[in-house]
Amino acid sequence: MSMNGNTNKSLVMSDAASVRLRLGNWIGQGVLFLITSLSTFAVFFIFYFIIKDAIPFFKTEGFKELFTGTHWYPSAHPAEFGALPLFAGTALVTVGAILVAVPLGISAAVCLSDLLPFKIRQVVKPMIEILAAIPSVAYGFFALVVFAPMLQEKGGTLLSTGAWLILGPIFALLVVVAGDLLLDRLRTRIKNTKLAAITVFSVLGSAAFFLIYRVAGQLAGIEISSGTNAFNVSIILGIMALPTVVSVSEDALQAAGRELREGSYALGATRAETILKTIIPASVSGILAAVILGVMRAVGETMVVWMASGNAARIPEPWYNVLQPVRTLTATIAGDMGEADHVTGSSRFHVLFALALCLLAFSFLMNLASETIVKRSRKKLGK
Amino acid sequence: MSEEITLRKFDQFAEHSSSGEPSEIHIEAKDFSLFYGDFEAVRKVSLKIPRRMVTAMIGPSGCGKSTLLRSINRMNDLIPSTHAKGEMVFDGHNIYDRNIDVVTLRSRVGMVFQKPNVFPKSIFDNVAYGPRLQGITNKQQLSEIVETSLRQAAIWNEVKDRLSSNALGMSGGQQQRLCIARALAIKPEILLMDEPTSALDPKATAKIEDLIGELRENYTIIIVTHNMQQAARVSDLTAFMYEGVLVEFGKTKQLFTNPKNIQTENYITGRFG
Amino acid sequence: MRLETRKLLDKAFSGFGLIAIVIMALALVFILAPIVSRGSKAFVFKGTIEHRRVMLELFDRGNVDKFHKERDEVGKAREPIYAMMAEFEAKTLELETSIETTLDEIKNEDRNLRKEVSRLKKVTPRDDVLIAELEARREQFKTREAELKAQRSELDDTRSAPYEELKDTVEELFGPIPGDKTPVLVRQRYGQTRWDRSLIKLHELLYTEEWDYSSPDGIGVKVETPRSELFAGTCLEPLFSYTEENIPQMMRPRTTFYWQFITDVSKGDNFFGGIWPAVLGTIYLTLGSMIFAIPMGVIAAIYLCEYAKEGRVISFLRVCISTLAGVPSIVFGLFGLAFFLNTIHVSSSKSVLAGSLTLSLLILPTIIRSAEEAILAVPRSYKEAAFGLGAGRWRTVLTVILPAALPGILTGVVISMGRAAGETAPIIFTAAVSVGLPLKIWETMTEPTPALPWNIYNLCTEHEAVDEIRHVQYGMVLTLVAIVLILNLFAIFMRARISKKLRG
Ligand SMILES: Nc1ncnc2c1ncn2[C@@H]1O[C@H](COP(=O)(O)OP(=O)(O)O)[C@@H](O)[C@H]1O
Ligand SMILES: [Mg+2]
Repeated sequence: MSMNGNTNKSLVMSDAASVRLRLGNWIGQGVLFLITSLSTFAVFFIFYFIIKDAIPFFKTEGFKELFTGTHWYPSAHPAEFGALPLFAGTALVTVGAILVAVPLGISAAVCLSDLLPFKIRQVVKPMIEILAAIPSVAYGFFALVVFAPMLQEKGGTLLSTGAWLILGPIFALLVVVAGDLLLDRLRTRIKNTKLAAITVFSVLGSAAFFLIYRVAGQLAGIEISSGTNAFNVSIILGIMALPTVVSVSEDALQAAGRELREGSYALGATRAETILKTIIPASVSGILAAVILGVMRAVGETMVVWMASGNAARIPEPWYNVLQPVRTLTATIAGDMGEADHVTGSSRFHVLFALALCLLAFSFLMNLASETIVKRSRKKLGK
Repeated sequence: MSEEITLRKFDQFAEHSSSGEPSEIHIEAKDFSLFYGDFEAVRKVSLKIPRRMVTAMIGPSGCGKSTLLRSINRMNDLIPSTHAKGEMVFDGHNIYDRNIDVVTLRSRVGMVFQKPNVFPKSIFDNVAYGPRLQGITNKQQLSEIVETSLRQAAIWNEVKDRLSSNALGMSGGQQQRLCIARALAIKPEILLMDEPTSALDPKATAKIEDLIGELRENYTIIIVTHNMQQAARVSDLTAFMYEGVLVEFGKTKQLFTNPKNIQTENYITGRFG
Repeated sequence: MRLETRKLLDKAFSGFGLIAIVIMALALVFILAPIVSRGSKAFVFKGTIEHRRVMLELFDRGNVDKFHKERDEVGKAREPIYAMMAEFEAKTLELETSIETTLDEIKNEDRNLRKEVSRLKKVTPRDDVLIAELEARREQFKTREAELKAQRSELDDTRSAPYEELKDTVEELFGPIPGDKTPVLVRQRYGQTRWDRSLIKLHELLYTEEWDYSSPDGIGVKVETPRSELFAGTCLEPLFSYTEENIPQMMRPRTTFYWQFITDVSKGDNFFGGIWPAVLGTIYLTLGSMIFAIPMGVIAAIYLCEYAKEGRVISFLRVCISTLAGVPSIVFGLFGLAFFLNTIHVSSSKSVLAGSLTLSLLILPTIIRSAEEAILAVPRSYKEAAFGLGAGRWRTVLTVILPAALPGILTGVVISMGRAAGETAPIIFTAAVSVGLPLKIWETMTEPTPALPWNIYNLCTEHEAVDEIRHVQYGMVLTLVAIVLILNLFAIFMRARISKKLRG
């Protein structure tokens, strides 16, 4: 019957065909697997080649100076390879960047996952993507050409405005909470509650105001002698790390699920309480992973720090003084290799690989940590 | 579709089975089991499905109907960690043998799924997909196959003017009939249907049922449904499954009117499931 | 806590969230605004006659007759300046020569006197009176000579040195003085091509600036004095007011659209022309990295989604992919140098090839992930349908899964393209040079290239006249940001369409 055209086709393959098919599949999958393993090879090769060129340094110069010395003069005679200032610089700008990116990022993530209506989210998300897409050299250019002169000329004003903007809302919130708690205590003892409320809030309010006023006044007096410093870089790196923090922690918040939210709302919790007491604790590991990824982004960034950190291989004094120029590992590698690669084989050349190895090891461990955290939390949620 | 045809088919089957003509058995499961990991979803099922009849499989959801159906063209291979035990004999071979050409098997056993799953391609390309896989590239030949298949699936008149438009633009019922046409285009002998109407409205369902009535002339059809009226309407034979076990298998009329097994009776009288 | 407080806190909480979003938006605007507004001035600006001269002479672009006419008019407007300067030079020369001649005369006479004295000293009897008189006259000559020398150095200080400074400024503003020989450096052959830069130079011409460090806190204060004061009373005095008043006639500013900024090569150390070599280099590097990364990435994604059986090996592969994604970009640069250049020698020096290979490793994880996501988003039913019709795995992938996943894959590809275009650190040691010509396609195998990200860094930190070519820097940044953002907007748009399709 013509309708069933394949009837005469045998179901059974000849042995040869069977072998051919099997072999073909086997080889094809082998090739695919090899191509997929390219990433693995790349990772191994990267480690191998960085270690290979780092070893000569450790052989001739040892470990101690690199990690404990504070004098970084690789091209002097005799050369000094104390990279502590570079580690300190990297740490300082990273901490600064995280201080910017994490509070902002998590608030924004909460906003995106729980507060904003769908339409606005559709606008905010591309905005974050654009923030993530801007090339680091453009950020660096902005930091060097726009932001640094601004800091140098109007540093004090900028800092004090910033203080008002940040401290203002926080203190307002604190005043409200503290005032309310206080009034609650007093209610039983005092008859004229209205008067009490006015007194409590005005006292607390003006105290907060004066506190901010003092702080801002102090900041306004600061003169920034060089706009290319750790502060500048921290802000910019913070903005750059923001998209990573936002999107990863938003994913984590979303993953907490609707059931959990509904459960909390059903018990009469407000939105803030639901988020703070239920959702964030449930997604804390995801948020931690977001922070780690943000740290990695800040540590690994090259162009911004190279262009706008001031590149002074000194530990700031005091160590937390972000208004002084610093120098990071990445910037050192980028900046010194230009001169060092003429002298391939010298300690000056190999020390840069030693620094790269530190970066690589750090990011590897961080990555592993974030993966483990995420995996573990997934397991927990799965159970 | 009429009662008459159904009855005639019954009798035919009865004749054949009584006169013991084994050639009319199209596919046969012998102690067939299928496992998802350790879980035995189909348990030692033995059944003989006759050629050119409609066999319905009914049973509560999760009882293994789909699993058994998909075992017939080895679609379960797609799911990792499945394995089969026993035999599924088709054309004299156990299709789970090592040297079975799965591609040929699937081109002889067509399948229609629960939800219409047309490709995001033109109507023509959807139907021509199977023939093209079999190496037919001649435009003329392809058009002929496409037209025949679409006619067989009783959808030709609705789509003949827009063969090149995207299939996703059609209604659900049309999409399902297109899926049937697509399955027919590979010229199978057996057509597997897994709840083909559960995602459709009553009108589209009626059309598909009519279509099944016409197709039984040329194809062996195995249809999974958990709509008992549908099973009664379209099928010659019915298999009732429960928790992976084939509980009862027989002529549809008999099974619905006079079930031998108490579980079957409970199920069709609506006491559970 | 009271209910009201809880509600208030809830509102405040929402407020914090909103503030975060607003700050983010502001940061975006704050960063993009200067880049866009100043970057666009590389393309649209008030160009002076010097710009048109550059276009004509270096790029063979523009109407010769019109230019000549304008040049002559401008020449007339500039004429008085050059005349004044010539007069001043002549006057200075005259003063100098008169001092020199007097000095010579004095020296001559002094020499004669000395001879006379020594002769007289030998004559006996010695006429001591006469000798003393002569010695006294010689003393007089000496003071006169010292006087003249002081005059001469004063002349140097008050006339020649300021004049040289003035002349340099004039040359920077208007180009070389007519009649002088053509400077060797291209950038010294033309005056200011842009009106905004002309006005800054004019200001430099009109005022000298000095830093006063006398204030106690040691911070310098800029002090500006009109340069005309230096030339008070000379024939150059009117030059300043004349230039100030007639600068438009001398420069002829005109709104200029310079779209060719992107496609012109740069001339004279990036002072003139466009940024084509860098743009082309970026295009090569981006496409080159894509040539390697797309096939590898997509194949890897297909393998991971369709073939791989989850297990130890695969989870190890996944760890490697995410490790690769976390490697700092500068480390990729070092690896590219150590492996592609120093070990397997893909080219004898830095090259586009080496840079592309390095970049492709950098974007590989991104492409794998996005392709995987796109493939997983293809409904399972498509796969079942294809299998049910007798298609093999590979056929199913090629005919059903890939076409359905294509928009998603493309989205990821486009985003990684933006990433590759903007990355600097990996190409510093493997592909980028500061100055270079546009490469032919076959030269990419062996030659290094300028590239936008690297040249932005280079021009704003290492160029000798960083401040004078800000417009070029901004133009480059804008071009790069525009390339990246257009790619990303495209991706965003595509993603919106995909999700609409999936929903609808
Ligand atoms: N992919 C799978 N992996 C594991 N178990 C499955 C899978 N698919 C189905 N099952 C299980 O096998 C049993 C039979 O499923 P199925 O054949 O789909 O039932 P039906 O089609 O009759 O509703 C159910 O218990 C179901 O949970
Ligand atoms: Mg089912």
